[in-house]
Amino acid sequence: MISVCDLTLRAGSRTLLRDASLEIRSGEFVAVLGPNGVGKTTLLRSLAGVRAPDAGKILLNGRAVGTLSAAQRARQIAHIAADELFLDQLVVRDVVAMGRYPHHRWWQWQEERRDDTAIAHALHAVHMESFAGRPFDTLSSGERQRIWIAMALAQEAPLLLLDEPTSHLDVRVAHEILQLLRAQVHAGKTVVCVLHDLNEAAEFADRLLLLGCAEVLAFAPPDTVLDPRVLERAYGIPMEVMQSPSGVLRVFPAAASLERL
Amino acid sequence: MTFRLAVLLAVAILAMLGGLLVGGTSLPAPQLFAALTHPFGTGDAATIVWQLRLPRVLIGALVGTSLSIAGALLQGMLRNPIVDPFLTGVSAGSAVAIVIAIVAGIALPAIPAIGFASGIATALVVAALARRGSGIDATRLILAGVSLSSLFSAIIALVLTRLQSTDAAPAIIGWLAGTLAGRGWSDLAFALPYALAGVALATITVPALNALRLGDVRAASVGVDVARAQWLILCSASLLTASAVTLSGTVGFVGLIVPHIARRFVGSDMRYALAASAFIGAALTVCADALCRSIAPPTEIPIGVLLAFIGVPAFLYLYLRSHRRAAA
Repeated sequence: MISVCDLTLRAGSRTLLRDASLEIRSGEFVAVLGPNGVGKTTLLRSLAGVRAPDAGKILLNGRAVGTLSAAQRARQIAHIAADELFLDQLVVRDVVAMGRYPHHRWWQWQEERRDDTAIAHALHAVHMESFAGRPFDTLSSGERQRIWIAMALAQEAPLLLLDEPTSHLDVRVAHEILQLLRAQVHAGKTVVCVLHDLNEAAEFADRLLLLGCAEVLAFAPPDTVLDPRVLERAYGIPMEVMQSPSGVLRVFPAAASLERL
Repeated sequence: MTFRLAVLLAVAILAMLGGLLVGGTSLPAPQLFAALTHPFGTGDAATIVWQLRLPRVLIGALVGTSLSIAGALLQGMLRNPIVDPFLTGVSAGSAVAIVIAIVAGIALPAIPAIGFASGIATALVVAALARRGSGIDATRLILAGVSLSSLFSAIIALVLTRLQSTDAAPAIIGWLAGTLAGRGWSDLAFALPYALAGVALATITVPALNALRLGDVRAASVGVDVARAQWLILCSASLLTASAVTLSGTVGFVGLIVPHIARRFVGSDMRYALAASAFIGAALTVCADALCRSIAPPTEIPIGVLLAFIGVPAFLYLYLRSHRRAAA
């Protein structure tokens, strides 16, 4: 679905990523991991086509992402950026309805029946039908995240890019959000998601993309990437990995590294 | 929502009919409407209605509509409720050219064109200064608009202090204070095409403006070409503001408050908010102009001054009250 060839990304004088190449397949759940400031958000923005690469190419189904018009891009890629404040008092349904923008002609002001259907489906998929008439600013962070996902689903784009959808959420709500995304992958979408919590990534993602030292340190299934030596290289502290009784890998900073602090 | 818009349209039409009734010569309603239905009639009533009051009411409506739509566009684009259409430097740019033209003794009929051209030129300079990448940076736009406006105010002040002949002073003060006195069909015919072009551009940007309510980043992610939308909005607002300033000078306040009133009636959805702003702006300006003519005849109070006197306290009251309520 996405081919990244020799991608270089810079932030000011710093090189975030040098000559990275990777391939994201259709229908998989990819978690982008790495320490703060390593360029996860920048990579996501480049994949979304809103930030041009400093070198190299990003191809979406064989076509350079940068050559798509804004509306063409939005029909292929739904990008959910980290939260942003806004002033207007909008109702939940109006927010979700914005996802229909790329499907409208420039002169089309009114919703059609297929817009209605798409909005209803999107609200249903995130279990928020009963919130349709609520003012957006009365929602909790977890509920807002669900609505942003619903807006992305209303876009009907096959690729979902999310920037830290579980930050600031409690354990249960974070889990529910990731389950929603997993369900979307099951329904045929491709999900690329920046995550901070290695354990969330281990549990939900098909492959983990670990960034560090201006390169892709690993891009493989969790049991390969969640190796103490690989993780120590990325995060700079010793890590312990163990298997939970349910069979999922669990990652912790090693006890010795905590004592050092 | 359609009902609310219909009510606002009716209010605007009533205000315009009321505006026709107000004037130095008392003209009873039946006589006035008889004259109104006979455009080529003769007699005093026909002259008063067709040569004096009707163009003036229509100009008032056009000024109010243009400034209100421009204000709604810019407030929506910058997601900043305290932005007004003069922010882009259009009015100061027009005013400085007009003041210089009057002092230089350029013939009166040429003055609207000079004001318009200078207003648009200023908007272009401000937009060029506010450019970042392919789009427009909100903070830079505000900084550029405010600093150019103060530069032009300083130039105007300098010209006024150096003014030798006193004959030019009333004309200049009229422009600066904002007035509809002495305008006629030819001024309307000059400004109308630009205002209509501005309205046409504004309607194109409505879906993008709605998406921009979520912020630039989220608007871009649902497929809005943010840079293109910003340029269209800025072009539209500049055309509308320049047309209004050409007709009336600097009539402040309408472009700031009317979008707020409109949002109270119909919400922030631009499909309704733009139309509501247009109707409310027309009604408010026409009523205010009627007051200006009738408070102390035969002299007139400048409409910009009147609007500030009535509008500023009313606005502060409404705004502070709603904030207290929100805080409670």
